[in-house]
Amino acid sequence: MIEEKRNNDLRKVVWELYAYIQDNLYLNRPDMQIKGREFNSALLMSLLTGLCEGKELIIGEPGLGKTTSAEYVCALLYRFPLGTIWGSEVSGHPEQTEEKIIGRPDLGKLNKGEEVVVWSHFALLPVKIVDEINRLPETKQSMILDGVDRGNWEYLNAAIINEEYCLFATANYQDRGTNTIVAPLIDRFDVMVESKHPGANLAYFIGGHGSNGVRLRSEELEAEFHSVLSENIPYPVRMKRLDELCDRFGEWLEAQEGIRTLSVADRREIRSSKRSLPFDLDFNAFLRFVVSELSFCHHFGQKRSNEACDAGCHFTGYLCNAVRNCVSNRFPISARNFSQALAWLLGDEEVDLEHLKAVLPFTLAHRTQWKEEVVAQREKEQRSDPLEIYMAKQAVKEMHRRYMEQAGEVKNALAVACRIVEGESMRPVEGDHPIYWEIRRDLGEEVTEV
Amino acid sequence: MKNPFLDFQSVPCRKKEIPLERIVRARKEIMDRLSEGYLRLVEEEVKDLVWLVEHSHVVRTYSAAVSAIQDLQYDQDDIEEFCAELDNANAFPYMISGPAGIYLSALINNAAEEHILLRLSEYERTFHFLGYRLPEGKTLVLQGNLGDFIGAGLCGGRLMVEGTAGNWCGAGMTGGEILVTGYTGQKTGEWMRGGEIHVDGPIGGFGRARFGGKIYQRGKLVVPHESE
Amino acid sequence: MSRDLDEILKQVWPRVRKKHLFPELPNPEMGGGESSVGLDIRAKKIFISREFVSEMSPALDTEKVIEGLLDHAVSHYLSCPWDFATHLKLYAKAKDVLKNKDMALKATDYFMDVVADTHCVSRKDTPIPKIYGSAKKGGALDEAIHALYQRIWGLDLGVKGYEEISRKLSRIPYLDRNTWQESIRRFSKAVKFLLEMEEDLGGTDGQSPMGSHSLQQYSSQELEEGLKDLALEVGTPYEFKKIVQDFEDEILQATQAGGEAMGLGPGQGLDADTIYYMKLAENYLLPIRKLPMEKSGSLYPHHHTPWEVGKPYQEIDPWTSFGKIMPGITQTWQRFEGEVFGKGEGTPDCIILIDSSGSMTDPKQHLSHAVLGAGCASDAYLRNDAQVAVYNFSDARSGGQKILSYSRSRKMIYRTLCHYFGGGTRLLVEKIDGLQTDKVPDIFLITDMQITNLENLIQYFNDCKNRVTAVHIGDNKHVKNFRSAMALRKNVEIYAVEKKEDIPRIVLGKVKDYLYSPGS
Repeated sequence: MIEEKRNNDLRKVVWELYAYIQDNLYLNRPDMQIKGREFNSALLMSLLTGLCEGKELIIGEPGLGKTTSAEYVCALLYRFPLGTIWGSEVSGHPEQTEEKIIGRPDLGKLNKGEEVVVWSHFALLPVKIVDEINRLPETKQSMILDGVDRGNWEYLNAAIINEEYCLFATANYQDRGTNTIVAPLIDRFDVMVESKHPGANLAYFIGGHGSNGVRLRSEELEAEFHSVLSENIPYPVRMKRLDELCDRFGEWLEAQEGIRTLSVADRREIRSSKRSLPFDLDFNAFLRFVVSELSFCHHFGQKRSNEACDAGCHFTGYLCNAVRNCVSNRFPISARNFSQALAWLLGDEEVDLEHLKAVLPFTLAHRTQWKEEVVAQREKEQRSDPLEIYMAKQAVKEMHRRYMEQAGEVKNALAVACRIVEGESMRPVEGDHPIYWEIRRDLGEEVTEV
Repeated sequence: MKNPFLDFQSVPCRKKEIPLERIVRARKEIMDRLSEGYLRLVEEEVKDLVWLVEHSHVVRTYSAAVSAIQDLQYDQDDIEEFCAELDNANAFPYMISGPAGIYLSALINNAAEEHILLRLSEYERTFHFLGYRLPEGKTLVLQGNLGDFIGAGLCGGRLMVEGTAGNWCGAGMTGGEILVTGYTGQKTGEWMRGGEIHVDGPIGGFGRARFGGKIYQRGKLVVPHESE
Repeated sequence: MSRDLDEILKQVWPRVRKKHLFPELPNPEMGGGESSVGLDIRAKKIFISREFVSEMSPALDTEKVIEGLLDHAVSHYLSCPWDFATHLKLYAKAKDVLKNKDMALKATDYFMDVVADTHCVSRKDTPIPKIYGSAKKGGALDEAIHALYQRIWGLDLGVKGYEEISRKLSRIPYLDRNTWQESIRRFSKAVKFLLEMEEDLGGTDGQSPMGSHSLQQYSSQELEEGLKDLALEVGTPYEFKKIVQDFEDEILQATQAGGEAMGLGPGQGLDADTIYYMKLAENYLLPIRKLPMEKSGSLYPHHHTPWEVGKPYQEIDPWTSFGKIMPGITQTWQRFEGEVFGKGEGTPDCIILIDSSGSMTDPKQHLSHAVLGAGCASDAYLRNDAQVAVYNFSDARSGGQKILSYSRSRKMIYRTLCHYFGGGTRLLVEKIDGLQTDKVPDIFLITDMQITNLENLIQYFNDCKNRVTAVHIGDNKHVKNFRSAMALRKNVEIYAVEKKEDIPRIVLGKVKDYLYSPGS
């Protein structure tokens, strides 16, 4: 009971933060609806990214608030003054070096023959923002791969592991100065969203009084943050001192602006109660259903980006025939993690299909490589999202519709499979959708005929 | 190995079933068996895709048809649907009219119902030999225009054709009654031994070899003629 | 009361959505409408009749009535008709049997109701049977359908009689989507006598208590997608037209917003032939050209690599090496040749010369691969921001020609391509010349080459600078002449097609060469 009350209180804080950012800092229109509530997808996903230690790629036109939205969310969820966050940002440009991104040798010590690493603020802070990541050359993108994946930063012989961290990266649409984001790195992003133009009427207010984030700055505290970050003290000690400063900044925000924010303990608590939310059976079955469509290939055993399936394949109607690559194992992790976070935010007791449906397009958009002819069919269609997100939304709609039609059969097939594995003598359920074929494969059947 | 389906342990495996599913399943089973019987008959009785109308051949085909449908539970809806299947070019790679009609007649004669109605008017194919050996106690109503040998070998049954019949209508019948609302073709009543044929429309011609029975046209006895 | 109904609907809808696993449908609304019909669906939005609910309320709990109506509407979306193309195909089958639009519409409506409701009853807990049990029956057919429900759902809906018809109807596998085409044929055949009987008694106005299914239930995007699917599935434009023309008003009304894409416009009728080819060609779209990447020719410091003893000094970056020459600390620049976006060359415009003489297929009766190929080519140019001109010729001297000057209107282009003269074959090269511009357009000629003044055309192609692709069907002495005359011309390519079906593939292949290959 007490726990529930505490949980509700934390949820209320997060809702307040959402409302505060939406009303004051990141003015934008709602563009999605979940369980009757309207949200702005970029803001919602950023908030969830911060809450569940995710990694978000924000795309959009220059100047439409990609970086600033991430900065605001980080400042308020993690209690860092905006100036400190600015100081820790990595901006993507070809001359960027490992020394600026991760760490450098302490020159004084180096001259004395000692090898001591001075870690970058980017590597140290739990909130990490990479601006214009696609302007980093591909080799430099690989440099942050490990850190991004595990919070593990290495330089010379030293290493630190971030206990808590989230990553926001922004990217402009492709132009003359951009590179592509390497496949392994892009797959590490949990979600991709677009920071959209807010429309003429809201745009009119942007930059006006109170909407430029000045409220999230405290020069005095920023200086203190800077000094702790520059000190040469062991990592755990430094983090402890940073936490203390964060709490002071939180108090300052509450006193100055009347905004409640989250402490490390609060965030930990949220994550723990988020993790305890169970997934309902339809969530479970639908996610399997989606993964099967995006990874199955009858002819070659699984999707591979270097193997194109034949024209006239029996499975032409499914997405396996529309995509080139195989969906990675990170995809279901992202989908589960973000759905749980969304369910927690909405105060639901179970993570259900609607949470998954809301999150899926953003977890798939950057991970799916569509075939050229499929893109050709869609690229000129009327839409309000960038092509990647639009195509992912359409794909989710398609799969969801297929699932709704045969949810009973899919769950039954999975239940029968469970009994077969437990030793009961039953026949696996046969069906057309790749999920049935995958089940039969898991049961050890040689499935070759169509 | 880990059971990857454990989350679904609590899902009951048997799903809700409505009568429709049972009806459709039963119907499909019967149709499959009827089709199987027909295809076997065609394979056995039709050599080189040619089937000659010859008395002994017809008798043998009928016997084979009867044995093919032994132990089969079906009703007139199944027979009517099987007619539709025969009419559907996709369902059977080849339909040879003679054996098809004899097979249908075997089905009709061995059905549980005494009164059977078949609506054949919208089919593209023409059915021959319908009503072959229709036994006493059975009434068969056929709607539509039919082919040759309708009611051939009729033995006591009542055959009503709401439409026309082709040549050799009632050929070799030994008893019973045939009523045709339209016309009949050539050789009506050929080899007839007993029973009656009533035709409301024109009669293309009478069979020359007749050994009994009567033919009426619009209620008037025309065969045997008073002079015979 | 009316306020209460809105409240109840708000409470029931989330439950129904969850039950059906959250279908992608907008929030339903209570509406006015007829009391005899419970539902109206427009552009996927469900409107529930207040009157119907009020009338049903004494017999059934209001919440149950609303839930049942929503279940019914959602089931239509989820199971049958599923999409616009399926709806049209079912209607076409019913029409084949019944030969009458009203009767076919009614049979299709009932068939879709049986499928959708049975789908719902067999999978979910739903008050649909209770609504059928309590609602007023519409007529003989409606009663027969209720009798069918009794039989296939195993429930008592209070209907007596209709034994034979319900028995026959109950044998149809409604839940098997793969056999719907055959099923609706059998269904229509079985209910034909009842429909005829109702027609004799004064028309087929009576309808199911749940309402009928107008095309307004689809969004314009669904209509477009549906027409595209239908064009691909039906064999000929004639069949397409036969199905589509019955819904001319509905399609025009529903697609007013997307007029241009649909080939429609204000004050114009539904041009089914044009739409057929437009939709069919959409299945062969080529992607929009991307800007090509080019090597910049200059090396730039791309990334750092650790310096190792033995490596040259000149690439050492002193800044990141902190002034030290020491393995592990010292770093060198790795230089790469830069890549930049190439200059996106403008796409040339295109002239399509299409032969519509008597020896060519009439595009209105049969699938004309010539028109389809020409359509695919024009789409590719249009998508890349170029313009297309069309010269459709038969016996041009006696007026058998149609010229469309450069245009970006897909509708106009297809209209011109679809025009069929069916006369002799003679073209006027001066008309082609009139379409030439400084940009030197590409020319596509699709013909069977039985052109009586072929020598004029040969002369013209010998003089012109355009890239010419000539696709001809069959072989004859004219073809030989043309080939030998063009043998030395590098800008003219001739493709002989034995099977007409190859035309779109060849044309698209050529367009790809022209527009998509490097250096194009």
